[in-house]
Amino acid sequence: MENEIKPNKVVDARGSFCPGPLMEMIKAYKEAKVGDVISVYSTDSGTKKDAPAWINKSGNELIGIFDRTGYYEIMMKKVK
Amino acid sequence: MSSKILILGDGASGTIMANKLRFLIPREDADITVLGNSPMHYFKPDGIHIPFGLKMPRDSVKPAKMLFNYGINYVQDEAVKIDVNNRKVNGKSGKEYDYDYLIIGTGDRYTPEDIPGYAESALHFYDYNSSIKLRDALNNFKGGKIVIGPSSIPYQCPPAPYEFTFQLDQYLRNRGIRDKTEIHYTYPLNRAFTIANVSEFVEKYFEEKGIILHTLFNVESIDAKSKKVNSLEGESVDYDLLVLIPPHRGQQFITDSGLAGPSGFIDVDRYKLNYGNFDNVFALGDATNLPVSKAGATAHFQSEYLANRIAHEISGDVYFESYDGAVACTTVTGPGEAITLYFTYERPPRANFNSKMDYLLKWTSADTYFSGMVRGIM
Ligand SMILES: Cc1cc2nc3c(=O)[nH]c(=O)nc-3n(C[C@H](O)[C@H](O)[C@H](O)COP(=O)(O)OP(=O)(O)OC[C@H]3O[C@@H](n4cnc5c(N)ncnc54)[C@H](O)[C@@H]3O)c2cc1C
Repeated sequence: MENEIKPNKVVDARGSFCPGPLMEMIKAYKEAKVGDVISVYSTDSGTKKDAPAWINKSGNELIGIFDRTGYYEIMMKKVK
Repeated sequence: MSSKILILGDGASGTIMANKLRFLIPREDADITVLGNSPMHYFKPDGIHIPFGLKMPRDSVKPAKMLFNYGINYVQDEAVKIDVNNRKVNGKSGKEYDYDYLIIGTGDRYTPEDIPGYAESALHFYDYNSSIKLRDALNNFKGGKIVIGPSSIPYQCPPAPYEFTFQLDQYLRNRGIRDKTEIHYTYPLNRAFTIANVSEFVEKYFEEKGIILHTLFNVESIDAKSKKVNSLEGESVDYDLLVLIPPHRGQQFITDSGLAGPSGFIDVDRYKLNYGNFDNVFALGDATNLPVSKAGATAHFQSEYLANRIAHEISGDVYFESYDGAVACTTVTGPGEAITLYFTYERPPRANFNSKMDYLLKWTSADTYFSGMVRGIM
């Protein structure tokens, strides 16, 4: 269950437009340690496409995209 | 009783705000003081023309003090600390300035030090001296591989790097060395521009002109010796000439004063532009953390709201308008052609059609800026 994973860092980018949420995620990634889990909350539909593309290209791991009430959560793991 | 309005910054935001306020408020009702540390006011949009010898740099600058209307107290001093609780600002000169209203328009600063290897290897067109240096480098360029891109987001005027690239393509053709040159464009997102529909036409143009696009490229370091620029995402591109927009942050004294985190950009209300719970402290232009383009046009629309609001308050009225996220952008799309994009928080930009008229608008923008916009007339 996704709820069993507890992120080490949560970035609340709700209300921020593209590319805000993705840039916030990259900032959190730079500050995180390998193995850390980062969650980004976003209300911008574009992030659903942009964030996984970035996670994939940068060789990190997408844990999942979860619909929440009024927003969605993108969870990633820093693997490098 | 007369109010004290203190404006920090003598760029687009500070100058437009001061001039608009002076038009709207009688002198006996408010003192307007501007602190600034740029004796010369440079019109940055000309950075896409100067490197190609299309504009003489001297036409893009004016003495800052000539741009303030009568009745504005313009002081050459640098703000070093803001104390919002006690309504005070300290200047580098040792002077202390108190205020009833504080307007922060100190823009952003470039932080090439955030990228190892930047200083030894990269050129850019984001300030006066760098644009001239790049012009000279291009003059000596005989062919090879040019890599262009913003190192990260945010950066000023999001279209500027692709506008520069369109102009570069034409410049190299005019010089007869386009066939000896590869142009590579890097971008931090998974497309060529922040906004998807504008991206489509940029990418189409890149394809037509043989410009190679590298997406999801956030610059991490540069290896000056082997002439390679490396991304956070693990890609490396080699270059002969590197045109890289340096990372941007807000001013250090903003962070030191506790008004922002390490990024230096101030969180303000997106509609009212006030900082935190203070209804007398505002920021506009590049200094804010708002999800809008860092553009002179943004500062212009914000000042429209903010100057009116403050003038209404001082005269005992209420102003019901707010800033709607308006940004307008005239962007060069090819030789002698441009389009104008207009958007707000709610309305995405429409990229309609190229026109020569828009190019003329862009070409003459330094004149309209210095003679109208920055003086608070428009
Ligand atoms: C290449 C390029 C092309 C561009 N093209 C366009 C375009 O086509 N259209 C558009 O709308 N915008 C464009 N822009 C963006 C536009 O120039 C900026 O967004 C605009 O200048 C922002 O105005 P500002 O006053 O907020 O910041 P600035 O113009 O940077 O002004 C800040 C001022 O504050 C002063 N300052 C800083 N710290 C202090 C301190 N501690 N105390 C006192 N003073 C201080 C600085 O000296 C400066 O004068 C472009 C920018 C570039 C680089």
